[in-house]
Amino acid sequence: MTLWFVFALMTAAAVFAVLWPLGRAAVRRSGSDVAVYRDQIGEIGRDRANGLIGASEAEAARVEVSRRLLAAADADAAQSAAAPRPGATARRRTAAVAALIGVPVLAATLYLALGSPQLPGQPLAARVKAPLQDQPLDALVTRVEAHLASNPEDGRGWEVIAPVYLRLGRFEDAVKARRNALQLNGATSDREADLGEALAAAANGVVTDEAKASFERARAGDPKNVRARFYLGVAAEQDSNHAAAAAIWREMLTDAPQGAPWVPIVRQALARVDAAPAPGPSADDIAAAQSMKPEDQAAMIRGMVEQLSERLKRDGSDVDGWLRLVRAYTVLGDKDRAREAAADARRAIGPDADKLKRLDELVKGLGLEG
Amino acid sequence: MIPELGHYCLVLALALALIQASVPMWGARVGDSTLMGVAGPAALAQFAFVAASFAALTWCYVASDFSVFNVFQNSHSAMPLIYKFTSVWGNHEGSMLLWVLILSLFGASVAAFGGNLPETLRADALAVQAWIAAAFYLFILVTSNPFLRLADAPFEGRDLNPILQDPGLAIHPPLLYLGYVGFSISFSFAIAALIEGRIDAAWARWVRPWALAAWLCLTLGIAMGSYWAYYELGWGGWWFWDPVENASLMPWLAGTALLHSAVVMEKRNALKIWTILLAILAFSLSLLGTFLVRSGVLTSVHTFASDPTRGVFILAILAVFIGGGFTLYAWRAPMLKQGGLFAPISREGALVFNNLFLTSACATVFVGTLYPLALEALTEEKISVGAPFFNFTFGPLLVPLLIAVPFGPLLAWKRGDVLGAAQRLMLAFALALVGLGVAFALQGGQPVLAPFGVALAVFVMIGALTDLSERLGLFRVPLGVTLARARGLPRSNFGTAVAHFAAGVVLLGVVAETAWNAERIATLKVGETISLRGYDFTLDGLIPRPGPNYREVAAHFTIRRDGVVIGVMEPSKRTFPQRAMSTTEAALMSRGVSQIYLSLGETSADGAVAVRLYHKPLVLLIWLGAVMMAFGGALSLSDRRLRVGAPKPARRKPALQPAE
Amino acid sequence: MTRKQRRLVLIGAGLGVLGLAAGLVLFALRDSIVFFNTPTDITEKHIAPGSRIRLGGLVKPGSLQRGDNLFVRFEVTDGHATLPVTYTGILPDLFREGQGVVTEGALDAAGTFRADSVLAKHDETYMPKEVADALKRQGHWKSETGYGLAGESKPGAPTTGAPK
Repeated sequence: MTLWFVFALMTAAAVFAVLWPLGRAAVRRSGSDVAVYRDQIGEIGRDRANGLIGASEAEAARVEVSRRLLAAADADAAQSAAAPRPGATARRRTAAVAALIGVPVLAATLYLALGSPQLPGQPLAARVKAPLQDQPLDALVTRVEAHLASNPEDGRGWEVIAPVYLRLGRFEDAVKARRNALQLNGATSDREADLGEALAAAANGVVTDEAKASFERARAGDPKNVRARFYLGVAAEQDSNHAAAAAIWREMLTDAPQGAPWVPIVRQALARVDAAPAPGPSADDIAAAQSMKPEDQAAMIRGMVEQLSERLKRDGSDVDGWLRLVRAYTVLGDKDRAREAAADARRAIGPDADKLKRLDELVKGLGLEG
Repeated sequence: MIPELGHYCLVLALALALIQASVPMWGARVGDSTLMGVAGPAALAQFAFVAASFAALTWCYVASDFSVFNVFQNSHSAMPLIYKFTSVWGNHEGSMLLWVLILSLFGASVAAFGGNLPETLRADALAVQAWIAAAFYLFILVTSNPFLRLADAPFEGRDLNPILQDPGLAIHPPLLYLGYVGFSISFSFAIAALIEGRIDAAWARWVRPWALAAWLCLTLGIAMGSYWAYYELGWGGWWFWDPVENASLMPWLAGTALLHSAVVMEKRNALKIWTILLAILAFSLSLLGTFLVRSGVLTSVHTFASDPTRGVFILAILAVFIGGGFTLYAWRAPMLKQGGLFAPISREGALVFNNLFLTSACATVFVGTLYPLALEALTEEKISVGAPFFNFTFGPLLVPLLIAVPFGPLLAWKRGDVLGAAQRLMLAFALALVGLGVAFALQGGQPVLAPFGVALAVFVMIGALTDLSERLGLFRVPLGVTLARARGLPRSNFGTAVAHFAAGVVLLGVVAETAWNAERIATLKVGETISLRGYDFTLDGLIPRPGPNYREVAAHFTIRRDGVVIGVMEPSKRTFPQRAMSTTEAALMSRGVSQIYLSLGETSADGAVAVRLYHKPLVLLIWLGAVMMAFGGALSLSDRRLRVGAPKPARRKPALQPAE
Repeated sequence: MTRKQRRLVLIGAGLGVLGLAAGLVLFALRDSIVFFNTPTDITEKHIAPGSRIRLGGLVKPGSLQRGDNLFVRFEVTDGHATLPVTYTGILPDLFREGQGVVTEGALDAAGTFRADSVLAKHDETYMPKEVADALKRQGHWKSETGYGLAGESKPGAPTTGAPK
């Protein structure tokens, strides 16, 4: 609203600048060439007095200028004698109407076609002062970038901003940040793997030679480095060396620590390159479990169940997961937790009748009601 | 809100310009003082709105409002404040806004200080001025709008072109534009006079101060641009005959000719048609310069064709104003009355001589600048017309002109006496010969032409002083009389002498720099020393330094002469990450009016730095001379005679008043 | 002298000076202009070694070699033909592989271009048409251009968004 009000004021001022002189009585406030010639004659006199020009020159010049002066004075007299032409009021009115209508109409038409009155001004200072959590991510990025521009030696800063760049899709920047972090904070297996990951992302997921070299350095630093090994597998796969890829991933699965979250990803990857049945959780894990002592077995199963429960808390859409969890608690003899899980599942599944029906059947079958 | 207000101000200025372009002109045709009276307030209001618009854009830059596309493109939040101001005109859209700001400033000045003008002339001139302004407002709004917005404002700008991040650029474009656009006033006056069909000596008196003001700003602007190129581009050249430079030189040459022919018109009522033509020409060349620089046609004729809106728009403005101006001229000029008579050898004759050579020199620059463009457009053949062409054509035309400079003021009006003038210039001749001898003795054999250049420069300088001493009767009359005469002498006579003297100073600088400049390029490691003309340069070390929006590596040099340390110099290289560009910051050390110039090349892998060293004798005279020339112009401008004719109501009484 | 004679003298002097200027211009145009060529022009036109020309094109990426004493060798290409160039001196700030360059000099007998001056293009604010179009679709502006990626991106050139 303020904007339109100010626009109106400005338009009024512009129109006034035209109407004001139209409203005044006609004053002849102007010079004429008579004044100039008169001054020139005076100047000749001064020059002569100072001895700058000779007497005859001065006289000749005076005659010449006087002739011009007379002509100009005649012209002036003729002009002022000529009566102003009639119709002054009508002309004034026309001009006033042109200003009153023409200026606002032209200004409004052009401005509405070109301007963006709906957009507020956004000076940077005001935007940066906004509370931290209200700021969009790129504002925060701008701040960190400004900080890094003045303190390019701050390795931690680079480490902080690198994953943000990755998420924003600014892969080249991510690579640069990872490189700087590596250089400033010293090479570790993890940092090498970070760099490799950024390089691969920058290459649209292709593990380039450079990225591969980075991952290899990471694996050399820590033979167990998960990301390094995984991506080296991807590199082998991209080289169409499926056997090598499968070998790497299979090895990873074999010595995977218990409940490692990346196991499903690796398994999925392995499934891509390996037609042979994956060393599934069931087969391998159960075989391992069977060779364990009973208390270890129980511990291992509990671990797996906890992991499943964690995952479902984060993402509850997996009905089969819920059913497995309820069944697992029952098998472990923990009926209370089984009931809790069933209740959680009901909330997570929501209004899907089909899935609810399967849950009800299971609960009934395990005798958990009541 | 601020950017939108600025946008709307610009639109309003256009509307006002259209009123100002039509109503006063109508009033002048029917003899209606009230309608003519609209011109003044409209011009003032128009200036106020453009100034507000410009202020709004400046605010957007200073506050880093990246929702304005123009700001996003050319600014960066970390840039130092001064460059936030200068980047307003460091880009196409902003510089066009500055252009119209200055245009309306001149219009407003005529409205405010033009009280001594006959009202029809004033109304017509302001109307013509408003036509020009309206055309450029429309150009800005339609094709180069600096107020376009981004709905989704980015958080960081793309930074100003690093080469433009320099204090020299802070004042160079405004000065240059003050000059370019200042000639619009003489153009408007010329068109107004042609429309009225009445031109007389008084007209020249009224136009001269405006032409003088424009000329003096243009002189300073060109000098500033040249000095900027000298120290920022890092290879020590001060004039490249680049089309952009030529675009500013051509109006300067035409403007200089205009100043001189206006003198003849004012004093003798002669050369009227020619003066009008020069007034039209000077502004046409300014418009042409704007077109050349702003349409992209210089990079290649084809870039112009690939993005034609802007270029075609300016071309249309050019065609309308230049074509219209010349058509009106061809139609009306034959009706003008002939003026006073004069012999070929006379003050008038000397000024005609000056005009002939200045316009011919201007024509050669014009051909050299536009011929490649025409050839490329017609035959696809690309050529470059470089310094050799201009040196060969421009130089020979300037020599007779400069030889004639000391004679002109010594000749009498109507019929002069060359021999008498030559006799009075004997001292100048003698000193020029001394200069010739000294220069030959100092330099040895080559280059042969340089001592003659020195002699000519001395001749021009001493000639200017001779003119002054003749007028004051120095050494011929008692000192008291001389002083009295000095007090009585109009300031414009001092201005003439100073400006002519300055022409000699510039020539001396140019000759010395061109002929005796020493250059050395080498690679140096830390601790090494090289010598040039008796100066020893030791590289002490390389110092990395952070800047606000760049990183810098400076090389620290200690300069010794005969083993004595005379100073340190720190040339540097700056890297601007936002644009992935680097610039060279040369280091300069002045020794009297000579300079030592040091700039860095790239650093090689083994830590050696490439260095360019120059010793430039008397180089500062080039710019000091230009400043002196502008000072001469300012002296003339301050002459009270140029303001006379102002109708203070008391003085307009018909009764004759005694001369002051 | 009569009025007519005086005018004749003036006009004669004017024509004389203009004639002098025209003569100088014509003479200089024959001698001191330099033709601009691309590598393709040079291969097609069989330009004689030793004649002074300008060569313009892009610096071929990976072709820049530095020697001793500021000697450099690089290749200039226009997409079709490529020409080796040698130069001794300091390269301008804007000189970069993959960017436009104009060199002035002459061909030697072996077909190498010996440059005595190298100019990098100063104009890099030129906005490609795609960017201008993108501006019109204001809402898409940011995603269309991405950000100027630090490092090698050309100012003003649109960089692709973030397709995974």
